[in-house]
Amino acid sequence: MPDKLTFDAIVVGAGPAGVSAAITLARGGLKVILIERGRFAGAKNFFGGVLYTHALADVLPDFWERKPPFERPVTEQGYWFLSPDSVLRVMHKSQHYQKEPADAYTALRASFDAWFAQQAVAQGALLVTKTTVTECLRDERGRVIGVRTDRPDGDVYAPIVILSEGVNNLLTQKLGLARTDLPPRFVALSVKELIGLPAKEVEARFGLSGANQGVAIDLFGDATLGLPGTAFLYTDRQAVSIGVGLLLEEFVYHKLRPYEVLARFKNHPVIKPYLEGGESLEYGAHLIPEVGYDRMPALAGDGVLVAGDAAGMVDALHREGTNLAMTAGRLAAETALEAHRQGDFTGEFLRQYRRKLEASFVLKDLKQYRRMTDFLDSSPHFMRTYVDYLNDAALRYFTAHGVPKRDMENEIFGMLFQRRSFFGVARDMLKLLQGMRG
Amino acid sequence: MSTRTHYPLTPEQEASLPAVNVDDLLAALKYYVDEDFAHLWIKDHAVCAQCQAKPCLDFCPVGVYRLDRQGKVMVGYQACVECGSCRVGCPFLNIGWSLPRGGYGVAYKFG
Repeated sequence: MPDKLTFDAIVVGAGPAGVSAAITLARGGLKVILIERGRFAGAKNFFGGVLYTHALADVLPDFWERKPPFERPVTEQGYWFLSPDSVLRVMHKSQHYQKEPADAYTALRASFDAWFAQQAVAQGALLVTKTTVTECLRDERGRVIGVRTDRPDGDVYAPIVILSEGVNNLLTQKLGLARTDLPPRFVALSVKELIGLPAKEVEARFGLSGANQGVAIDLFGDATLGLPGTAFLYTDRQAVSIGVGLLLEEFVYHKLRPYEVLARFKNHPVIKPYLEGGESLEYGAHLIPEVGYDRMPALAGDGVLVAGDAAGMVDALHREGTNLAMTAGRLAAETALEAHRQGDFTGEFLRQYRRKLEASFVLKDLKQYRRMTDFLDSSPHFMRTYVDYLNDAALRYFTAHGVPKRDMENEIFGMLFQRRSFFGVARDMLKLLQGMRG
Repeated sequence: MSTRTHYPLTPEQEASLPAVNVDDLLAALKYYVDEDFAHLWIKDHAVCAQCQAKPCLDFCPVGVYRLDRQGKVMVGYQACVECGSCRVGCPFLNIGWSLPRGGYGVAYKFG
């Protein structure tokens, strides 16, 4: 029987939350093990995706010198409102985005997460890959004292475990910190395809002057057949990331095939020219927890903290997730360091993690948008009605008919109330406002 | 499952969905298949036999669930990308779901 394998802290999952925690713990002088089930950190990780450097800089102040494998800086971003045959674009491009390091970058997770995990190793964390954690080990009083892995003699012990296991938070559920599995109406299923194109083509099609520019577009309306969800189009160095996500319940109810919804979106007359001639490099799928502030798991228990997707830390409205995860991972680690200093690993002591999050943008934002998913939930017509209206109104506005402008304006208002009653519009706007204001 | 009002898709919308062979999309994906352990399974085939809609056949993003000639649901776990949709999307929660053993399953090259 080998000696008990003991560390100061265990981190489950080498995604943005877990790696941020491991870096912070190792830098704080703790002996930390980072356990990852993939063949390498990033092998199981999949996102749109855009990364935000503010959270990365808080974890790794010298990240820029360490040459992170980003794709392109985001120098232009905004929304496209897509109807079946038209698009209304609200885009923002600015010289203010043109700086190094930029605020946001597109990235691909297999390379970024592998790089990020190497930074944890460089700080002294032990990274163990190809190892699945099957359960948390608990003492007779139910306190978490370690984890069981699927390796022979694979029990590992530590006074504190940080669960950054991702959206499929089975360990968090097994501990009772999450009371239920993900409800299909509060989780989005997103699929993405990476379309390879020469850098010159990417730049020509999106109006970019070189590798130091990139675009991030979020789309509403016809991309999701008008159902509650969003789509995206991001430029990578030599590829375009295109994807679409809907609440899982929509796929289930309408018996939609995600790859057909994506193919339909790719075929849209506005979208098709951007992808023409590209090579399909990879397709994948991921769940996005949109459980919101009121349905999040408990974030702390005796000897355990939860961070990232496992805790539902996603701001779907602003397509933010990795930055919430990095910040939460760092704050979980700071709490663990404090617990080691005080020798107190009780859930009561660890609850200061939640207070740290409440004081940060992570829970402030989740709290503000706590009614956003309910808004989408109660207004399933929203995308279709208003996005189509915006495009029809724009067409009317931009077409000269020899009709007096006052008549044209009245006509545009009339077009709205043909689709939705005056009180319906008023109620939608009020609900949207409530969703935004919290 | 839900109290929400769903607006059915229009016939034009239904018709606008192109047929896609999902296997073509999966060709570029890298898998390390665990031949000794199926990490997905049907808990009770009698429940599937009773299920009229069988939404898993459609909503699984990689087409893991297909019907055999007798109309029984087959689980092609080898194609799974471990997203978790089937575990929570099955109306009867009749799909057993666990993570593949360490190192097995999908390995994204780009992610």
